[in-house]
Amino acid sequence: MEDADPILEVDKVTRYFGGLAAVKDVSFKVRQGQIFGFMGPNGAGKTTLFSMIAGALKPSSGKIRSRGRDITGAPAFKLIKLGIARTHQIVRPFREMTVLENVQVAVHFGKQAVTGRAAARERAIEALGYAGIDQLANYPAAILSVGHQKRLEIARALATDPDLLLSDEICGGLTHAETSEMLALLRRIRDSGTTVMYVEHDVKAITSVCDRIMVLNYGRKLAEGTPDEIQNDPAVIEAYLGTRARGRS
Amino acid sequence: MNASSVVIAAQRVARWRSAPLPWLLLAALAALPLLSPSPNFVRLLFTTFLWVTTSMAWNLVGGFAGQVSFGFAVFYGMGAYTTALLMNTGVDPVPAFAASALSAALVSLVVGVPAFRLRGPYFAIATIGISEAVRVVMTNLSFTGGASGYRIVEHRPFHQLEHYYSALLLAALAFVISALIAHAKFGLGLQAIRQDEDAAADLGVNPYPYKLAVHALAAALTGVAGGVFARYAAFIHPAGVFGFHTSVHILLMPVIGGIGTVWGPVLGGFVFGIVEEEIVASFPQVHLLIYGSLLILIILFEPGGILGGLGKLFRRFRGRR
Repeated sequence: MEDADPILEVDKVTRYFGGLAAVKDVSFKVRQGQIFGFMGPNGAGKTTLFSMIAGALKPSSGKIRSRGRDITGAPAFKLIKLGIARTHQIVRPFREMTVLENVQVAVHFGKQAVTGRAAARERAIEALGYAGIDQLANYPAAILSVGHQKRLEIARALATDPDLLLSDEICGGLTHAETSEMLALLRRIRDSGTTVMYVEHDVKAITSVCDRIMVLNYGRKLAEGTPDEIQNDPAVIEAYLGTRARGRS
Repeated sequence: MNASSVVIAAQRVARWRSAPLPWLLLAALAALPLLSPSPNFVRLLFTTFLWVTTSMAWNLVGGFAGQVSFGFAVFYGMGAYTTALLMNTGVDPVPAFAASALSAALVSLVVGVPAFRLRGPYFAIATIGISEAVRVVMTNLSFTGGASGYRIVEHRPFHQLEHYYSALLLAALAFVISALIAHAKFGLGLQAIRQDEDAAADLGVNPYPYKLAVHALAAALTGVAGGVFARYAAFIHPAGVFGFHTSVHILLMPVIGGIGTVWGPVLGGFVFGIVEEEIVASFPQVHLLIYGSLLILIILFEPGGILGGLGKLFRRFRGRR
């Protein structure tokens, strides 16, 4: 099904740092209800591209649209009102607040902008339950383990009631078991109707969870397709593993 | 006992602890004149209430939102002069106080609009610059008497208790505002900005108007305090109400009591209000030095102030049982 106004459309986006193009002419579309991933070796421009979509960095050129609306360079607090939320690669909880208060901030200032305290608490507890950390609601956020803080990132982002969740290396630093739980959580989020855009370093994690993947290399788009297509693409294999040594093939 | 029952018990204790205390304190202070205390003691409490008010006001910006200001004398002075000028044209005290709130809030925008666009220490630096500039202007402004000050002539008999109750009412108002904000949407937004401005923005908080709003609110409260003071003192001068030491006092109280809490600034304001005159009288040359050293000691050893220190003692005591 061709979607006229995709939930996210990145159109020839370029970002220079000095004379160096960290991201160059990258275009792609994310359709509703997918988990769309992008991956690439270190320095491929994943974080730069992610930051531009999340409103943390302005593109040097190109356009970013959501449902036909131009969101290029829009600050994060405006994106939230349009239903676009992010999580952070390095967790950023409000350390002096409880876990619950962290999520309450998201409910109060999210897309629905809930004002009432009781209603906000209720929604926040719901989001914590969804992320599986409701038993930690009244603990100070600072004392949580990394795994739980990552879940708090997810709970906070979900509590803003997003249509599109941007998730940056959410499995970084997690154990094997925690990673598979996190991937299951991403699937549940997708199945409940929120589109997910997922950036990950870990090839195994990203290919196991994504419906569609884009590969970046040296700031350019190298390939895009289903996980199977990507894994069998010679250009992708070359980017990750290099070419065979000469004279041995 | 499992985790959730501990949490529920803690919430019950917090509710029990916080509910009747402010009302009891307010009732006691309101009933105090029945004991016919000396006029000097009433005066001391009057000034203390004004200090408590400014302390809570500063805490809204410096404590909740984490935007440290060295320029609250600007709002105090603006409020004082606004009330003074209006009352001398025949305006009643209450509308004059309201005008003080408004003029201080407007001045807060002049400071905040450019300064809150900057991150880090720039806001604090800007507040010092602006407060000194305003003081110099007021020192040289002829229609307010310049450096020699300005006298307020009120054509009605002086009742000390009228002043006492207006200051008490103002402090109570500041407390209610502070307590309501602390756990409401507005207060959570401010605390999010203090703890991580970018993460707050990523959850939908727009930091700029939030900082402007809380700064204006704090300025308005401080302005009314200045107005109430001016009416009582009947004489104000730029080196007093606009002086840098006024800004330092206002900043010192919440730090002493416990920054970013509801009760800390109240506690700090009371402690400071009661000992301040004694310190100035005993060490007229070096009292600012004493405050400066105190500030450094608190920041080094107990950033939570008196309240933070008490909390630690309480936990240690409970842990030992």
